[in-house]
Amino acid sequence: MITRRAFVRAGSLALVSFGLDPLFLDRAAYALGGRRVAGSRTLVCLFQRGAVDGLSMVIPHADPRYYRERPRIAIPRTALIDLDGGFGFHPALAPLEPLWSSGTLAVVHAVGSPNPTRSHFNAQDFMESGTPESKATRDGWANRYCQHHREHAETPFRAVAFGPELPRALAGSAPSLAIDDLRTFGLRTRSPSANDRLTRAFEDLYQGSATGLMSSSSAEAFDAIRMLREANPSRLNPEHGAEYPRGRLGASLMQVAQLIKAKVGLELAFVDVGGWDTHVNQGTDDGQLARRLGELGQALRAFTSDLGERMADVVVLTMSEFGRTVRENGTGGTDHGHGTAMLVLGGNVKGRQVAGEWPGLDSSALWEGRDLAVTTDFRALFGEVLTGHLGAKHPDLVFPGFDPSQGASLNLFGS
Amino acid sequence: MKSLVLATTLAAVAPTLQPAPVPAPAARDSAYHLLNRFGFGSTPGLVDQVATYGVLRWFDRQLDLRPASDAALRDLERSFEVLELSPDDLARQFAAERRTRLAARDSQPTGPMLGRRRALGAELQQLAVARAGTAENQVLEVMADFWTNHFNVFYGKSLDRIYLPDYIESTIRPLALGRFSDLLIATAKSPAMLVYLDNAQSIAPGSVPPFERRVRQEPRRRRRGLDRFPDSAMATLRARMPTGLNENYARELLELHTMGVDGGYTQQDVVNVARILTGWSIRRPLGESGGPDRRAAGGYRFNEWAHDRGRKIVLGAEFPAGGGEDEGLRLLTMLASHAATMHFVSAKLCARFVNDVPPDGCVDAAVAAWRHSGGDVRSILRALVRSAEFWAPANIGTKVKTPFEFVVSAVRALGGIPSSNPALALAVGRLGQPLYLQSAPTGYPETQADWVNSGALLARMNFAVALAAGRLPGVAIDLDRVAPPTSDPETLIRSIDREILGGRMNPNTHAVILREIGSEGSPAGARALAIGLALGAPEFQRQ
Repeated sequence: MITRRAFVRAGSLALVSFGLDPLFLDRAAYALGGRRVAGSRTLVCLFQRGAVDGLSMVIPHADPRYYRERPRIAIPRTALIDLDGGFGFHPALAPLEPLWSSGTLAVVHAVGSPNPTRSHFNAQDFMESGTPESKATRDGWANRYCQHHREHAETPFRAVAFGPELPRALAGSAPSLAIDDLRTFGLRTRSPSANDRLTRAFEDLYQGSATGLMSSSSAEAFDAIRMLREANPSRLNPEHGAEYPRGRLGASLMQVAQLIKAKVGLELAFVDVGGWDTHVNQGTDDGQLARRLGELGQALRAFTSDLGERMADVVVLTMSEFGRTVRENGTGGTDHGHGTAMLVLGGNVKGRQVAGEWPGLDSSALWEGRDLAVTTDFRALFGEVLTGHLGAKHPDLVFPGFDPSQGASLNLFGS
Repeated sequence: MKSLVLATTLAAVAPTLQPAPVPAPAARDSAYHLLNRFGFGSTPGLVDQVATYGVLRWFDRQLDLRPASDAALRDLERSFEVLELSPDDLARQFAAERRTRLAARDSQPTGPMLGRRRALGAELQQLAVARAGTAENQVLEVMADFWTNHFNVFYGKSLDRIYLPDYIESTIRPLALGRFSDLLIATAKSPAMLVYLDNAQSIAPGSVPPFERRVRQEPRRRRRGLDRFPDSAMATLRARMPTGLNENYARELLELHTMGVDGGYTQQDVVNVARILTGWSIRRPLGESGGPDRRAAGGYRFNEWAHDRGRKIVLGAEFPAGGGEDEGLRLLTMLASHAATMHFVSAKLCARFVNDVPPDGCVDAAVAAWRHSGGDVRSILRALVRSAEFWAPANIGTKVKTPFEFVVSAVRALGGIPSSNPALALAVGRLGQPLYLQSAPTGYPETQADWVNSGALLARMNFAVALAAGRLPGVAIDLDRVAPPTSDPETLIRSIDREILGGRMNPNTHAVILREIGSEGSPAGARALAIGLALGAPEFQRQ
């Protein structure tokens, strides 16, 4: 690990520090990239924390039980956006309709965890560790992907979480960055010249006496600062008239797009978006859930518009720890359930399909008599995305103990 | 004088270093090491005091300090409102706030901390920082942190926003230096843990709560014109009604609190532990339901109706049919003194205090003390601090501070006095360790691999510079206590090395600081910069 990082440091630093050549980043990528060019493919994971109501995000409108169980909060057939005669988008997801129509957006329904927990924190933990049978796993599935797929060009930006902390999915021995805000990543000072000085001072401090992980991590930090300064992704304004919604989600996705455009080798990006725990007054085509979905739809639409043709190399995968009860509760909301829906868009995703086996909402088909059953293990979906989009060769090491051949392929990629 | 100090220390250390005496580092080095591991670092002058007093003598005295004797800490605590509020008070306030929000149809997305909840949560976090930063009894603060983490509870889980403050005050802190079995039983009975790991909802399958009986009588009531429960409310209540066992706490009790994942228990043991603990539940606190409620205050309650009265076997021990709450106490007592528990918890203590990879020698010493003392935490710590491994050069300065340890030790190094303003607690959170917000029952990790990443190191450097420059609200620092203003850079750096880094400053660090302060205009600016660099340097990240 240290040897590898030392190599990375030596390589990218040398190139970056003398990188007055505008092509330095591409050269760095070439020099370091091994078999793959850095930045060629990116997977953006968008975690809807709090358990999104998959049944009102992608509505099984052909199933009368949906309307029977939700007299107050069902999305009326007249309001939703029909997808295929059986399912429809929540009207707030209207910005995504063109992506569906153009065949770059797919839905996987009745997806979730085999673990029966209805606890947010347990379920998120399982979905991020990638081992829903074991709590003892210390690292996350995305970190294991990086650990076991070394052919990607090493760059401090290979795996980046947008937020103050590293999500559980990125925890582990492979390097990853947590960036709260690209514009302020680095040392904070009052003036640019003071910043140069302080950065140099700390870099010298760490280069001179840090050892082990502290040495490699600090080297990555200063590499990242330098690459950011050279590439200056924050200057890359949204293109093609893309308008990101105000708020954290839009800001994060805009920064993901900036890093992708800056070609710093971003392979895995993590973005969190909260507010899905709609126990009370979740609303119908208007209201709490509609507002959250509206922000989600606008943000994803802006992201895909902004990246334009670059979306051929980018896939966005949404995820949430579980779904919500089929039946509305006594307070105009829904409680913790089981299966939910996830969206996959971009790259060479075979869009315009609702993938996964639909178990239906008959009481006999419901899980524990009340929730949408899970017919697709989230690991099958994540594994297929890693394989189909990033070319992962060892999904078995990313999701130890999971045998993907247990279920049918979702057939989300390829011809 | 110096040799006298050393002699005093050696006199205290020598009889305990068995079998082969390890060369004791100089008294000052010993004091610095001890203060870093069994305290949140040194304050200006404290290393010298402890070295003069004798390190082991200081340690033993810490174990006998009474919390009430720390007047400065008592004063500080008085500025924390959260200490004045009972779980019932909190329940009432949160419920009132919720009603106001609903009435205003304000359906903003809900996070773990909003409004009042957020403010009191931040204050609770800050209280931990302030205590660790100022308490005279550092060993108590360190152990409160250790057990809070060992018996982790997540503030964001359901009613734990109400129960957590009381959990820290009444369950963890009074027992942090007591007997492990008492701590285990207290956490098992704490509403905070019962909610966090769902045991409050775990019932014997087929058992019927009194409420359900009332619902079943509903048609009769309705005939009599008593339509108290509309259909939808009944459906919701039924859906929320527990129907059987919840193994969550039982599993974590074995895996994380006592025996460890490799402790040798089976899935059947987990199930039977869950059965034994059925009925260990809570009274919901007053006012939580949002309506007028005359029930007694929230707290632990044993529900006879929910208890599984069948025969159980756990780890080969029989719990005969007909047992009640008592069999849970018997189980916890048994687990508290199980060999696997002694080993697992001792190893965790050694990972915290000695090395990320706990050396066998100190684990054995801790287990022996555990066995001998019946799980008395003071005795175990005494054995640990007297083990050869604790003082072995290979284990000195090798552990990386957690964000909490880093922030608190930096504040202490500058003689800082934290206030109830949560700025420092928020800084700990930004560095990756928001207190009481670890959702996973494992608590926060202890090893450097978990805390060292590029973003986190930059955040530490930023914190160091901001703190030394006096730019952080919520703490009053006094750089004069570290180094008097001087125009001689060498004198300045020597003082910083001595007070902040315990004399461990790397020559490279010395050279870089010297170079950097050369271009600072004023002595005050130079001093702040030099201290900021020292606090952000690799040496200060370690302990």
